[in-house]
Amino acid sequence: MACAMFWIPARGVSGDMTDLLNIENLHLEFDTYDGVVKVLAGVDLQMRRGDVLGLVGETGCGKSMTALSVPRLIPMPPGRITAGRVSFKGEDILSKSESEMEAFRARHVGMIFQDPVTNLNPLFTIREQLVDAVLYQRAQGQKVPGRWRGFLPSVRQIRQEAHERAVELMRLTGIPDGDKRIFDYPHQFSGGMRQRVLIAMALAGDPDLLIADEPTTALDVTIQAQILRLIRSLVAQLGLTVLLITHNLGVVARSCERVAVMYSGRVIEESPVRELFNNPKHPYTRGLIAAVPQKDISRGGLEGIPGMIPNLINPPAGCRFHPRCGAVMDICRAAVPPTVAVGSEHTASCFLYPEDP
Amino acid sequence: MSRLLAVNNLRKYFPVRGGLLNRVISDFRAVDDVSFALQEGKTLGLVGESGSGKTTIGKCILRLLEPTAGQILYDGQDITHLKQRELRRLRSEIQMIYQAPAASLNGRMTVGQIIGEPLWIHESLKGDAARDRVLELMNVVGLKEEHYYRYPHEFSGGQQQRIGIARALAVQPRLIVLDEPTSALDVSVQAQILNLLQDLQDQFDLTYLFISHDLGVVRYMCDQVALLYLGKIVEVAATEVIFEAPKHPYTQALISAIPEPDPDMQREEIILRGELSSAYSPLTRRGGLRVGGCPFAPRCHADKLADCDTIPPPLIEVERRHEVACHLHPAMPIATPEPA
Repeated sequence: MACAMFWIPARGVSGDMTDLLNIENLHLEFDTYDGVVKVLAGVDLQMRRGDVLGLVGETGCGKSMTALSVPRLIPMPPGRITAGRVSFKGEDILSKSESEMEAFRARHVGMIFQDPVTNLNPLFTIREQLVDAVLYQRAQGQKVPGRWRGFLPSVRQIRQEAHERAVELMRLTGIPDGDKRIFDYPHQFSGGMRQRVLIAMALAGDPDLLIADEPTTALDVTIQAQILRLIRSLVAQLGLTVLLITHNLGVVARSCERVAVMYSGRVIEESPVRELFNNPKHPYTRGLIAAVPQKDISRGGLEGIPGMIPNLINPPAGCRFHPRCGAVMDICRAAVPPTVAVGSEHTASCFLYPEDP
Repeated sequence: MSRLLAVNNLRKYFPVRGGLLNRVISDFRAVDDVSFALQEGKTLGLVGESGSGKTTIGKCILRLLEPTAGQILYDGQDITHLKQRELRRLRSEIQMIYQAPAASLNGRMTVGQIIGEPLWIHESLKGDAARDRVLELMNVVGLKEEHYYRYPHEFSGGQQQRIGIARALAVQPRLIVLDEPTSALDVSVQAQILNLLQDLQDQFDLTYLFISHDLGVVRYMCDQVALLYLGKIVEVAATEVIFEAPKHPYTQALISAIPEPDPDMQREEIILRGELSSAYSPLTRRGGLRVGGCPFAPRCHADKLADCDTIPPPLIEVERRHEVACHLHPAMPIATPEPA
């Protein structure tokens, strides 16, 4: 087992107080035949180690793009980062080379996606796919200098260890009979179980950050509850940091400690979960919460937000929410509101709140 | 208040083929002995997880699928065996709105043509008369006049759903089957569409059969809720009753699983084991074997009785207008053991 120990990638121990992830003023554009789509327009987001942050917003607000910019999975071209910084544990991600990025993705970031069907290859068993993930992160984990080669474990030994690790990951993600089911194909698993397999795969590299992009949207509500409980238990067990992307405010209320609300390419409000639901500041956040059918809303009492999500090729000038906002002022049409503190650990970017509280 | 729709013992089995000669070896019981009634001007919610048979019931009511057995009474008339020609008249009475707004609109037709087509088919309206009616309908659902010559892909999801609603309203139906009308939409748009549907109901005195998996939406929209599990109704009651005092363990679990946007809410969270099992009949050799008993028994979190695994519980009225199918309910008659 000494060999196995040798293979475990060394983890740089950074201080707990520092930011794990720091996105500053990120601008992202896409070239399309219709014009330049300004997807992100100055996203600021910080995550500390152990955070469970919910990133909420409607279709097209840029929440997935923000998340994908961390492992740099945005296709470029047509994508283009025009300004901003993304740093992870203090390292600048945007300046890394592609081979450095591969090692970075394998060791630091795990991702799970919305659709558990398309993200598993139907032609291979779960074992092949999960073992692949384990081996890949290992290979990326540490480049072994040539003179150590003689001490390396045999291929068979490595595969055996990877298999054991895969079964262990399946147990960790709550798949019953993992040692037998690992030989099954994806179609033999139900939707909830497939999502667990994908979570297992994401955890193969023992990542610092787990990005979950709408992990429960394709699942039934009882299965959703199971998966959310699993994610919470993984946070407690492994000390994971989770960025949970969702459009469902209920999921956020149940699973997250902090929330960032996005609208049209910017984070417009950020706060601890309780504070956000009890004391929402930004008119968009208020509208979003009021639009969810809740317990004591009687017939006809539901309020939507008038209008539609703006076109990102020609976004509205100033605050991008102003055409739909009930509290719109002249300044909203002219300038982009700065992000100001509106409470302890609570920020909003809206002209309703003065810059020095 | 009259009963507009009554469904009695509806069954829809799909054949499962296999074996050497590809014969029918078993059946998939999508809808298994479902009965309910819908009062005129009211909204009944059909709720269940995917695979519980809610859409199949909706399609059977429109006779888009032929029921295997059972009876559908519309306005007192048995429509289960109507011929195709007679069905056409029924189509103007019962309409359907679909889940995926983009897929349910023909991408090669303009909005005006899409909404005008049912007017031509059912009322032979064309020309300016049809155009005036279409514009009026577009106004009712909140579309603008300049949208008349546009194509569906030029619209957002919420507006596409408005086109679908206008098309359904064109023939002045009395009953509309809404199959997950807002599940493809964002919350802020969902709220707009739900409010529109409520306004239209008041304005035109419509009756809705509202199919959804979203209990929050159902609570907002429906007067009465029926919960389905594997093709069977497990509980029916008025909406407030279902949400305040659910009796069936499945209903309790489902309600506890709604993610409420309220972090302060304290409640017991019931997490069900496993997933929806299969609706294949006991004859199926492959797939989940279901011998009998309550379909929910394998996932049930309550203390089970011996009957749960052997005898299917009947749906009985335990309180006024509140029906439950569960052996654990005290009002359930003690089943006599079947003679061996």
